[in-house]
Amino acid sequence: MTVFRRIPQWELLLIVLTLCAAAWSSNLSPYYLSVDQILLSTRQFVYPGILALGLAVVVVLGEIDISLASILAFGAVLFSKCSEVGMAIWLATPLVILACAALGAFNGVLVTRLRLPSLAVTLGTMGAYRGLAFIVGSEYGYTSFDSSYTFIGSTKLFGALPVSFLVFLALAAGVIFLMHKTVFGRRCYAVGNNKEAAWIAGIDVANLKTQAFALGGGLAGIASLVWIGQYGSARGDNADGSILLVVTAVVLGGIDINGGRGSMVGVVLALFLLGTIRNGMGLANMAGPTQTVVLGTLLIIGVLRPLIARGIARLRQQLASSGHAGN
Amino acid sequence: MSAENAVIAAAAPRRSFGRFALKLRVSGVVAFLVILGAIFAVLSPQFLNAQNLSAIVSNAAILSIVAAAQAVVLITRNLDVSVGSIMGFAAYLTADFAAQHQGIGPILILMPMIIGGMLGALNGLLVAYGKVSPLIATLGTMSIYRGLTYLYARGQEVTSNMLPRWMLETVDLRVGGFPVLVILAVVVVAILGAFLRFFPVGRRIYAVGSNPVASAYFGLRTERIVLLAYVICGVLCGLAGFLYAARVGTVTVILASGWELTSLAAAVVGGVSVTGGSGLVAGAALGAVVLATIDNGLVLLRVPEFWRMFIQGSAIVGAATADVIIGAQIRKSLQSRRRGTI
Amino acid sequence: MKIRSALLSAAAVALTLGLGAASTAQAEDSGFKIMMTPKWTGFPYFEAAARGGEAAAEELGDEFVYAGADHADVTLQVETLQNFLTQRPDAILLAAIDLNAVAPVLKEAMEQGIVVTTFDADAAADARDMFVNQMSYKQAAKTMLDCALIDAPEGGEVAFVAASPTSPNHSAHIKFMKEYIETDPTYQVFTVVDTQYANDDDAKSYDVAINLMQAHPNLKVIISSSAVSAPAGARAIAAAGRAGEVYSTGFALPDAIKSYLEDGSQKCFALWNPYELGYLATYVTHLKLAGKLELTPGTTFEAGKAGSYTVGEGGEIVYGKPMMFTKDTVDDAGF
Repeated sequence: MTVFRRIPQWELLLIVLTLCAAAWSSNLSPYYLSVDQILLSTRQFVYPGILALGLAVVVVLGEIDISLASILAFGAVLFSKCSEVGMAIWLATPLVILACAALGAFNGVLVTRLRLPSLAVTLGTMGAYRGLAFIVGSEYGYTSFDSSYTFIGSTKLFGALPVSFLVFLALAAGVIFLMHKTVFGRRCYAVGNNKEAAWIAGIDVANLKTQAFALGGGLAGIASLVWIGQYGSARGDNADGSILLVVTAVVLGGIDINGGRGSMVGVVLALFLLGTIRNGMGLANMAGPTQTVVLGTLLIIGVLRPLIARGIARLRQQLASSGHAGN
Repeated sequence: MSAENAVIAAAAPRRSFGRFALKLRVSGVVAFLVILGAIFAVLSPQFLNAQNLSAIVSNAAILSIVAAAQAVVLITRNLDVSVGSIMGFAAYLTADFAAQHQGIGPILILMPMIIGGMLGALNGLLVAYGKVSPLIATLGTMSIYRGLTYLYARGQEVTSNMLPRWMLETVDLRVGGFPVLVILAVVVVAILGAFLRFFPVGRRIYAVGSNPVASAYFGLRTERIVLLAYVICGVLCGLAGFLYAARVGTVTVILASGWELTSLAAAVVGGVSVTGGSGLVAGAALGAVVLATIDNGLVLLRVPEFWRMFIQGSAIVGAATADVIIGAQIRKSLQSRRRGTI
Repeated sequence: MKIRSALLSAAAVALTLGLGAASTAQAEDSGFKIMMTPKWTGFPYFEAAARGGEAAAEELGDEFVYAGADHADVTLQVETLQNFLTQRPDAILLAAIDLNAVAPVLKEAMEQGIVVTTFDADAAADARDMFVNQMSYKQAAKTMLDCALIDAPEGGEVAFVAASPTSPNHSAHIKFMKEYIETDPTYQVFTVVDTQYANDDDAKSYDVAINLMQAHPNLKVIISSSAVSAPAGARAIAAAGRAGEVYSTGFALPDAIKSYLEDGSQKCFALWNPYELGYLATYVTHLKLAGKLELTPGTTFEAGKAGSYTVGEGGEIVYGKPMMFTKDTVDDAGF
C-alpha cells in the first residue's frame, strides 16, 4: 500500500494533461487562446458535468446509474410544465429537484431493497424514465419558458462568464465538501471499500446508497434547469446519449468503478481536461470520427492508469533495491 | 445479514444443484415469454398465427446471437459495451471487401469473424491483462472501433447492389419452412451452450465468474479464460454483424449502434446475472425473443411509441426482479434440502 | 424584418472589415468565410450536400469549411455551432437536428452579424435568415404519394414509417399525405392504417416493416421519408417473400434502392439532388453576404448552375426539384 501513496497524484497529472491539451489546442486553432472563448466554451460541459458529480457519488458506493440523462429529460419537461402553469421559479426548482431525486431514489430502492444489480436496474429505468418524460411532455415538448426559468442556463455575466458555469463550480465545491469533509462522505467511501465491514461498523448501507442515488437524481434535476436555459427546448429526448461522456469523466477523474476510491476533485479536473480537448478539436474543425477516436483512446489511457502506476512503482522499487544492493 | 449467510450456505451445495438452479433461471424467462404471449394473444387475433411467430423469431435471430455473446462475457463477471461497434466495424470492412471482390464465395463469412475475434481479443487483453475495468475498457474501444469505421468509410456506404447476390439471397432462405437466420441462431446458441456446459474450458468460464479469487487459488488461469470469453464474444459479434449487413442490405457506418444496450437488456431479461457466474446463453437468446415479442406485440396493438419505451424499460426491471426472486427461492430450497439431509 | 436583415448584413460587412484583417484586401463580393454543419457527418446524403457547397464556394471565391459530429446529437451540434461562432465566419449553414435547441446559439450568431442559412431541416424561423428547403412539405407529400401510385395504381392500405415523432419534416410529410388521401380524388384509392417509428435505424426499420406486414395483412404500400427506412423496408418485403404484393417507397438514395428497382421487386422511390441542394444553399448565402439578394417574398434570383429561384414567405427558398427513380431513371441520378 505504501507504494501507492508514493505515486504522483492523479490530480496533478490531470492538471498537467489539461495544460498540455490547452497548448495543443492553441497550436491547432488560433481562436483557442482567449479568456472569453475559454469561459464561453465551459457552457458545453456544465450539464454533463453536473451529471458527472452525481454519478461520481454513486460510483464511490460501488454502484452505477446510467439513467441520469433520462432523469434530466424528465426534469426539463417538468420544469416546462411548471413554467406553463405560471409557477414561480423559486417554487418550481425545489419541486423538480425533489421529483428527480425521487426517481433517483427509486433506482436506489430497487437496488438496495430488492438487491438488484444497479446496471440492470438503471438500464431499465433509463428507457422507462425517458418514456415517462415523453408521456408527460408529448412528442412536441416545450419551447417557450418564462425568462426566470432560463436565467441560469442562458445568462452571461460581463459578456463572457456563463452563470451556469458558476452554478457548476458551486455544486462541485458542495460535492467535494460533502464527500471529503463530512460523515456522509466518509461513510460512502467506507461502504465502497468494504460493504460488509461498513455494515458491521453500524452503517445503514441500504439507506446510504438510496441517499446517493437520490442525490444523483437531484443533481440531474439541477442540470435540467441549466439545460432548458441553454437549449430553450424541453423534450423527452433531451441529453440522449450523453451518459457515455458522463461516465468517461467520472472514470478519467480517477474514481474506481468498483467503488471506494478516487476524489471528487479528480472528476472536476477530468471535466476540464475533456472540455479543453473537445474545445480545441472543435475549433480546429476536426472531423467528428477523429474526435471520437481521440476521446476513446484517452479513456483507455485513463484506465490503464493503475497499470502505468504499478509499472512506475515497480521501476522505483527496482531502482531502490538495486541502490540498496549497491550499498 | 441473513441473506449474506444464505449465499455462503448455498455456495457449497450449489455445484450439485447447479443444473437444477440454472434450469429454473431459464424457466423464468420462458414463463415471462409465455405470459407475454398470452396477453398479446388475447389482445390481438393476429399475434398467434404461424407467420407472425416466424416474423418474431427472425427479428430476434441476430440479436439472440449477440445477446448470447454478451452472456459469455457477463458470466465471467465482465461486460462488453463495444459489441455494436465490433459488429459495425466487421460488417463494414467485410461488405466493402465483398463489393470490390464480387467473385468471393461463402468463405467470406470467415472475414468478419476473424476481425471480430481480433477486436474482441483487444478488449480481452485490456480487461484481463491490463486489469482495466471492463465497462471502461469497452466504452473506450466502442468509440475507437466506431470512429475507425467512419474514418475507413469516408462518408460512403455499401449498398445492396454492390454486395454479392448470394449474400442477400442466403439470409432470406427458408429451410423446411424455417428462416435460415433462425436456424443459424439456434445452432450457434446450441453449440455455445454445449461448449460452456460440457467442455472443461467452458465450465471454467462459469467458475471464473462465480468466484475469481477462488478460481485463481485452484490454479485456473483467470486471465486466459477472460480473454477467451472476449474473443468468443468478438467472433460471434463479427458473425452477427455480417448477418445484419446481409439482412438489411445497406451497410452504413452506424450499423448496430446502440446494440450494446439492447444486447445487455436481452441478456438481463434472459436471466444472465450481470454480477457473473450464472445464467445460460440460451436464456440470453430467449431474452432477445422477449424483446422482439414486445416490439411485435406493441405494433399489433398500435401502442404509442412512448409507451413502448416505458414498457420495455419496465420489462427489463421486471425481469431483473423476477430473476432475483427466483434466485432467492432457489437458495432457500437448496438450504432447506441441505438441512433436511443433515 | 427587411430593415432588420439589412442592418444585419450591414453589420456583417462591418464585422468582416473590422475583424477579418486578412480579407480586407479582397473585393467585397467574395472571400467570405462560410461554415457548414450537417445533422451528422459520414452520411452520403450530407457528404453530397457538402461537396455541392464546396463547389459553389470555389466558384464564388469563398472559403468553405465543413465539420460536425459523427452522430445526430443536438448538444454536439450546438457545440459545433458555438465553435463556429468563435471562428468568426461570415455565414453559417446547417441542417438542424432540433429546431428549437439550436435557436439560442443561432440567435447569438445573428446578433454578431453572421448570416444563418438552414438547409434540409429548418431551425426556428426567428433564429435564421433563410431556409433552403429541398421541397415544400406538400410537394414532398405529393411526390411520395405519386410514387405509391406507381407501385399500386389500384390503391389499398398504406402505412407510414417516420424517424421519430419528434422529427418535424417527417411529421409534416405524414400530415399532408393524410390530407391528400382524404381530399384529393387522385389519392383517395388509399387508406391510411398505421404510423410507426424507426429512428433512422436500418435494423429497426426492417423489423418495423415486417411487423407492419403482420399487423395489416392487406397492406399495400409502406411510405417513409427516412432515406434509411425506405430501402430497409424494400429489403424486408423481399425477404418476407411479399415482393409484388407489398411495396416500400419514399425518399432514398439511388444507390441504396437500385438493386430492388432492377430486380423488379420495387417500382419507384424519390429524392432530390442533395449535391445541388448544398450548392444552392451556399450560393444564396453568398448572394446574401454580397448584398445581392433581398429576402422579400417574390424576389427572383439566379443561383449559378442551379438555375433560377424565388424567395418565399419567411425567408424560405424552395429548391423543389423532386426526382422519381424508376428502373429506367435510377442510373441517371448523377450523384
